[in-house]
Amino acid sequence: MEKEKLYIITAYTENQVGLLSTVAGMFTRRSINIDTLRVMASTIPGVHKFTVKTRTTESKVKSIVLNMEKKVDVIKAFYYVDNENSMHEIEEVASFLQARENNK
Amino acid sequence: MTKKNKISGSQILLETLIAEGVDTLFGYPGGQIMPVYDKMYEYGDKLRHVLVRHEQGAIHAAQGYARAKGFPGTVIVTSGPGATNVITGVADAMVDSTPVVVIAGQVNTSLLGTDAFQETDLMGLTNPITKWSYQIRRPEDIVWAVSRAYYIASTGRPGPVVLDLTKDAQVGLAEFQYEKCEFIRSYQPKFNADEAKLRQAAKMIDQSKRPFVLCGQGVILSGAEKELAAFLEKGCIPVGSTLLGLSAVASDNPHYKGMLGMHGNIAANIMSQEADVILAVGMRFDDRVTGNLSNYCRDARIIHVDIDPSELGKNVPIDLGVHGDAKQVLARLTELISRQDRTEWLQRDVRFNQVEQEKVIIPETCPNCGKINPGEVVAMVAEVSGNDAIILTDVGQNQMIGARYSRFKNSRSFISSGGLGTMGFGIPATIGAKIGAPERKVCLFVGDGGFQMTLQELGTIMQEQVGVKIVLLNNNWLGNVRQWQELFFGERYSQTRMINPDFEKIAEAYGIEHVLVEEREQLRPAVEKMLADDKPFILDVHINEENMVFPMVPPGKSVSEIMLNNEEWFE
Repeated sequence: MEKEKLYIITAYTENQVGLLSTVAGMFTRRSINIDTLRVMASTIPGVHKFTVKTRTTESKVKSIVLNMEKKVDVIKAFYYVDNENSMHEIEEVASFLQARENNK
Repeated sequence: MTKKNKISGSQILLETLIAEGVDTLFGYPGGQIMPVYDKMYEYGDKLRHVLVRHEQGAIHAAQGYARAKGFPGTVIVTSGPGATNVITGVADAMVDSTPVVVIAGQVNTSLLGTDAFQETDLMGLTNPITKWSYQIRRPEDIVWAVSRAYYIASTGRPGPVVLDLTKDAQVGLAEFQYEKCEFIRSYQPKFNADEAKLRQAAKMIDQSKRPFVLCGQGVILSGAEKELAAFLEKGCIPVGSTLLGLSAVASDNPHYKGMLGMHGNIAANIMSQEADVILAVGMRFDDRVTGNLSNYCRDARIIHVDIDPSELGKNVPIDLGVHGDAKQVLARLTELISRQDRTEWLQRDVRFNQVEQEKVIIPETCPNCGKINPGEVVAMVAEVSGNDAIILTDVGQNQMIGARYSRFKNSRSFISSGGLGTMGFGIPATIGAKIGAPERKVCLFVGDGGFQMTLQELGTIMQEQVGVKIVLLNNNWLGNVRQWQELFFGERYSQTRMINPDFEKIAEAYGIEHVLVEEREQLRPAVEKMLADDKPFILDVHINEENMVFPMVPPGKSVSEIMLNNEEWFE
């Protein structure tokens, strides 16, 4: 049996109507309770950030993150064990978007 | 910009569809989509509209069209019930990676959220079962959203897109300037596989004595059939196919060992268990393919290639995941692997095939007496058509028998509802497939249950004179459930007996030629007559009522535990 831990999931998205219910639906489908949820503008203009805290297994978290990234309007998603440093992600999102523009 | 240069949202929609290369719409009019239908009146020479008899028929026809043609199918329906009636097909297209675009009418923007007549929250309903869904509220957004819809539906791992088009966006005016969508920054459909991983995969294959390829529909979707054949030839490697991967490898290719899974071929299942390296391409290890996961391919190192990274390692623990396009990956792997002679392994299937022939295939396809078996009918159609028809099936025994006994020369020749298993898929999907590939013979195997789920689409066949060949495998039972009741539920036949109408009279009412076959000697002439021309035809075959589909890996068993018939297991 896989161990449950507290995870933080972050998703960087376009600002589109309906994304909140899409994100929430991914947790509902897997019977996972959301402990806390925060939706706010990120430091990149036009890019929104979802932060979800939840207690579950790593395989479920992985599956949620991969399926979030599958959504057209989600740019990138990450997960961490609680308290792990997540400072690098904003740079990763910015450089991903830069690379996309360069390959246009 | 003067008002003179502006056109209605409805016209912008039709112009954008034409610019995207759409030639056929499968649809049904209604209140909230009437402005588009009104404009369509002037577009009859550029856009063919196929009027179905139920919106579910429209979406399944679009799926059949997409799978036969390799171009997204387009559905146009009204709001409320029109939109909710397509939902089964949208879910089906999502799980089977079929590119379709659904355009549904919606109430005026000012009425959204008021429970207006025929208003439903279509975005909320379809969000989990679409690749993308979007509500268009302004005529200015139509080009952007529609072009984006076709780009998303057809690229990467294909899938359904739903557009919810409010009535004010249809009647409002805007300037039309087409711009093709070729880039979305948050969506990356093309992905070059990592060269280091490809080298690692090639090394694993080179070191392998018993490599085995699992071919899924991804091979067809990426157009990688030639690349796969070249790879198999160079490495002297056998291959098995999933249900939806059928026809990607020609049936007479010496590397082809048959279909995988519950009702697959013995050789394909046993060889996947005996392999030391599995290369899975564009498939998702569905439970109908793997059987009991704890015993699946235990001796093999597994390499999984898929365009969708969320599939890698989802069901089966893998040793190497390659995120990439099947065509590109197989071409590169063929360059990287060494030419080897694995003839002994390649011919490992001889004994398995002998057992299957003797215990399953001959009793099914060449019985000397008794009622006609469905396998005889499928094998006869394959023979008379020269293995050249597009074969569709509904869901159930007709599907498994249709898959098992059809033979394929060309790719995109097998269309069925795989992941969702939607009964009633058959008739409308066949209409769409024939419209998508008018130059080919298109033949459906359907049971009496599935036939009656969407038989109103016979009206569409009549009106459009679509030359589909419908083979009704009629046993007066819901055969697949009946089989499970016999094998696993103590022969308690709960609600599986069907009292059927006179199908000849139904066919006659729709003006479709119908031939009834009850005796074995009637079968060949009837099949020859059916395939002789390009007119709609229903071949109604009264088959053995107790017939069961074998071989069978019972649910919960490993894929090497195979029932050959009611009494015997494969040893």
